[in-house]
Amino acid sequence: MDLCVFGVDDGYAEAIIRGLRASFLTEAQYQQMKNCASIPELKSFLEETDYQNCLQADNPQIPTSILRQRLKKKLADEFEYIEAQSTGTLTKYLFHLRCRFMIDNVVNMIEGLKNKIDIEILLSNIDPLGWFPEIKNIKVLEGDDYSSLYRDVLIDTPIGVYFMKFLEESIENLHENRTLNDIQNLFREMKPEYIRTSLKKMWLEDFYLFCEQELMPTSQEALLELLKFEADFKTIQVIYNSIGNRDLNTAAKIITTRKQLCPTIGNLYPDCEKMYLQAMTLDALREAVKGCDNYRDLLKDAPDPLKREEFNVQTKTLDDIMYDDECRRYALAFDGQGSYGVFYSYLKLKEQEIRNIIWLAEMISRKLAKNHPGWKKIIIPFSHLGK
Amino acid sequence: MSFFRSKQMRYYSLVIPRESAWVVMNELARLDQLHFVDYDPQLPMISRPFANYVKRCDDSIFKLSCLEQLLKEFKKDLIYCENVDSLLDYFHQVQYDRMKPGHTYFDELEQEIDQKKIQIQEQSANLQNLLDRVNIITEQKLVLENAKEILGQSVFQQQTPHNVNDYQQLKFGQIIGVIDKEEEVRFKRIIFRVTKGNAWVQIKDLNNEQIDNSMRKSFHLNQNNASQPRCLFVIVYPGAEESSSFRMKLMKVCDSFNRQRIEYPNSMDEMQKKMIELSQQLQEAKNLIEMTKQQLEKSLDGLVLQKQGCNCSYFEYMRLYVLKEKYLYVNLNYLTMRGSIFTGYFWLPEGMELVVEEKLRNAMKNNRDHYPTGQIQEMKPYPYTPPTYFNLNEVTMPFQEIVNTYGVPRYQEVNPGLFTIITFPFLFGVMFADIAHGFMLFLCGIYLIFWRNSLQKQTDSMFNQMIPFRYLIILMGFFALYNGFIYNDYLSISLNLFGSCYSPENEEWKRESKDCVYPFGVDPVWQASGSSLNFMNSYKMKLSVILGVIHMLFGILMKGVNTLFFKNYLDFYCEFIPQLLFMICTFGWMDFIIIVKWLNTYENNTDPSIIETMINQVLKPFDEPANPVFPNDPQFQLRVTQILTLIAVICIPWMLLPKPLILGSRHDNNKVSMSDSQYQPLVMEKQVSEQDEDNNQQFQSDLQNAANLRSFTEQGKEEHDSGEIWVHQMIETIEFVLGGISNTASYLRLWALSLAHGQLAEVFYDMCLAGKLDAGGVLGGLLGGYFYIVFALLTFGVLMTMDVMECFLHALRLHWVEFQNKFYKADGYLFNGYSYKKILNDNLKQANSK
Repeated sequence: MDLCVFGVDDGYAEAIIRGLRASFLTEAQYQQMKNCASIPELKSFLEETDYQNCLQADNPQIPTSILRQRLKKKLADEFEYIEAQSTGTLTKYLFHLRCRFMIDNVVNMIEGLKNKIDIEILLSNIDPLGWFPEIKNIKVLEGDDYSSLYRDVLIDTPIGVYFMKFLEESIENLHENRTLNDIQNLFREMKPEYIRTSLKKMWLEDFYLFCEQELMPTSQEALLELLKFEADFKTIQVIYNSIGNRDLNTAAKIITTRKQLCPTIGNLYPDCEKMYLQAMTLDALREAVKGCDNYRDLLKDAPDPLKREEFNVQTKTLDDIMYDDECRRYALAFDGQGSYGVFYSYLKLKEQEIRNIIWLAEMISRKLAKNHPGWKKIIIPFSHLGK
Repeated sequence: MSFFRSKQMRYYSLVIPRESAWVVMNELARLDQLHFVDYDPQLPMISRPFANYVKRCDDSIFKLSCLEQLLKEFKKDLIYCENVDSLLDYFHQVQYDRMKPGHTYFDELEQEIDQKKIQIQEQSANLQNLLDRVNIITEQKLVLENAKEILGQSVFQQQTPHNVNDYQQLKFGQIIGVIDKEEEVRFKRIIFRVTKGNAWVQIKDLNNEQIDNSMRKSFHLNQNNASQPRCLFVIVYPGAEESSSFRMKLMKVCDSFNRQRIEYPNSMDEMQKKMIELSQQLQEAKNLIEMTKQQLEKSLDGLVLQKQGCNCSYFEYMRLYVLKEKYLYVNLNYLTMRGSIFTGYFWLPEGMELVVEEKLRNAMKNNRDHYPTGQIQEMKPYPYTPPTYFNLNEVTMPFQEIVNTYGVPRYQEVNPGLFTIITFPFLFGVMFADIAHGFMLFLCGIYLIFWRNSLQKQTDSMFNQMIPFRYLIILMGFFALYNGFIYNDYLSISLNLFGSCYSPENEEWKRESKDCVYPFGVDPVWQASGSSLNFMNSYKMKLSVILGVIHMLFGILMKGVNTLFFKNYLDFYCEFIPQLLFMICTFGWMDFIIIVKWLNTYENNTDPSIIETMINQVLKPFDEPANPVFPNDPQFQLRVTQILTLIAVICIPWMLLPKPLILGSRHDNNKVSMSDSQYQPLVMEKQVSEQDEDNNQQFQSDLQNAANLRSFTEQGKEEHDSGEIWVHQMIETIEFVLGGISNTASYLRLWALSLAHGQLAEVFYDMCLAGKLDAGGVLGGLLGGYFYIVFALLTFGVLMTMDVMECFLHALRLHWVEFQNKFYKADGYLFNGYSYKKILNDNLKQANSK
């Protein structure tokens, strides 16, 4: 039924997205990019593609960070246009999508301020997709006082809800008779990465709920599936990264932290929860997730996190494996008709494309030999479909 | 004959040494006759030898477009080039005077453009900075003035409290500054939250954009709306100490809004001082602006200036030169580089070889360093088909365009564009037949033709768009006028121009004499007779079928001409002849009896029905017709129809069977010798590559692969062939037989549209004019005027625009479908001449339309 009326409100936005499909770089184009000998050459190549307009005004020797910023700006512009053309649920949905980038931005700002990086530099580095007007007011942050940051600035923002929940949870976890000092200590020790992971977890759960409650069945079907996998990947990542992590010295602490950070949605939750929370080695993790889908195959090639020191550029890390599998799923979801999954997939795939370009730019600027295995470490969107 | 069939093309290879590549290409581009073939279409543009030149040209064009923006902002009007030829001559002259290799001129221009751009942009950035500065100063002044109003005198008179607990004497501090208007609410809220409500915030609009614009106006600059509306804020909070944490926090919040904060003076005197200081700064800044602006204008004027001998602004001159240079390099990229020699292929109309060689010799002569120039050599064009090239002029262009929109003619096939010149306006005229309307269209065409030059300058005029189609319009108007006379229709009234043959007598129409015939068109008496619609309908219907059948027969004849030209005798005997016979024996015969019926008189209601005759001819082939078309000779008619029907029926299997059978047997014969022919292309490809004396392994193997692939697919095709041929031939036959009927019926639109046109005209006339003009007196005059206006508007809006469009579209359809499907293959591709003139002309238009 919803397929009949999908086009009434969302047809135009979907059509634009379908049109933007043509802007993805092809495998042949990636091949040419690999053949570029220098950054100016890469830039002039990109000017032949859809990225032409956003790069034209720049100096040929463009630094990678600015290149990334330009590419992201283009994506953000496209997305903003679509958002402006959307109505009703789709607008809400697209806004929800952007919240993920807002979280990244806020955490990056906090991290930067903690490291005493100049606010102007921080502002110029924020992801344009996650821009919101309050972001510059984060400057008000004093020391580690996240609660006053929340009270003064973030309360009004779309991600305020997540931040509040995060603060509440962190404080609740303290022992009963806590003092103000304890709270300050807690915040001082808290790593921005930890904040990011928890906020994203809450966002993911919230987004999942939103999709479940507000979207039409077709969109739900596509999106919930994607989000479940994403939640699972997040879980696996958390477990994987916490294996052998020295900051978490006791087993009990590891488990509580894991419990906090793992999303409470997905295929792994709650069936495998007990198993994966207690997995202390890679093999145990593999064992824990073997019941679900192809996770076991994915983890088969993952390098052992206990030997983290031995990793180098060539290692195909867990992230790479995950991206690869995600990319396949998004490409499939992109081809689904009449669902909001298209927008999500587009965003994800474009992000992947930007990551690829930046990676290649790094490789080029380091002047690595053409037979270096790093050149192969790009995941081309839609390349899985042909196989 | 180059319009009946496209020009004969020859395939040449061109070899130029690297040193003279630019000179040769520069010369050839003036010739407009070469069609370069991309040597390797698979190769991406970026990895071609001159990719970086193209890139540089693009960069320069981009820089120029930045400059153009500025020129527009400062309202500098460029002089645009109008005559490309003289500009090209001027380019040549400049090159000649330089006494340096030609391609280096671009380097000079590039540098100049670069410098100019940097210089001018710097100046404009300076100007912008100064303007911003002035803005900030005026803003400060405004803020101070407003703040003074809001805070009042009492702020300066605060005393240090004697008693801390005495709230009456609590001292207040204040922060003053500017924020963006859109952040007003957020700002208030954050301040409220940070101070927990213990501060008083006042916000007031600054109307800065008005001030900004008025200031820009005073310097004769364009107004820009980029400046966002801003407002000033005043925060008053308890506690006046400079370093209280409360104040620090507030300051931090205010700073995070990224706009300026202003120190509020401590006393009235300081305030005064500050104001004077600001006014002084303002004056200084304004003086600076005036100076910067003058400088900027001077540099911009340099761009607008017209150089001696050149027919456009220097800016335009540079832009066009860079475009030309880019075009040259793009085409040069179609060649391939082997060592220091460029090789490429191009198509050339037959007979132009000498001219090209002459050009090449010329290039050698003009070449300062006397490098050897290029050489051309004719090649076998296999396996490529040549492009379709017509020498068009302003008259033939729109008609060829009508044909090309459907499909570009195959190389050397009969070009329907030639016949379209007359048939298209004529069929349009049959549908749009009205003396008055046709004449108006004709006048429109005349206007377009004779006032063309002045119209071309009015870029916003509707007529401007119609200029290329002026000859089409005048012909359409002429034929509408002509057909209007034939139908004798003037805004739905018949004209009695030559004197009708009938005159009213005792409520009856009496014919003047037995031989009296109205000399041209339909006798106006029909309109008065009451059965005019019946008569006109039958007349127009028959006329349109006759025209249609003639049109289609002509199309079939063209097919015959094509098959003979391409020596395709199989198609000639097995398709063309049966098709022609079929058409003649069915609908040709129908036309014939229509005319016979017109010529004869029938008595006692024995006039035959054409449709009945045609149907009976097939259904009752052995019965004598009840109402014969030939009044005295039914037997003769029966015999003729029997023969014709027999021929038509025989034609159907004739079309269907022999061709696939013959092709099939040929295929069997070929099977024996196939092993030879299969390797034919391979060998030839090899020869080509050997000529180039290049032992590039990759290239060789690519060629081999391509050749293998082709022979493989050919083999595959042969296997499928016989089945495919049968299906194809079946479709063709069915299409032709059914098409014969449906296409003939389709020509009835000639009648239908002219009927619709006539009826519309009649309705407008009856409703608006007829009878309304009889009323006398002032009121009658006014009403008459009013109704006339309504009539004129309706006639213009419905008939002269919508109906013209409709008739145009239907005429288009009759040509594309009914006429062209009889012979037209339309699978050619257009000749794309290598010509500076074309590229510059294309870009001129853009500049004018902006």
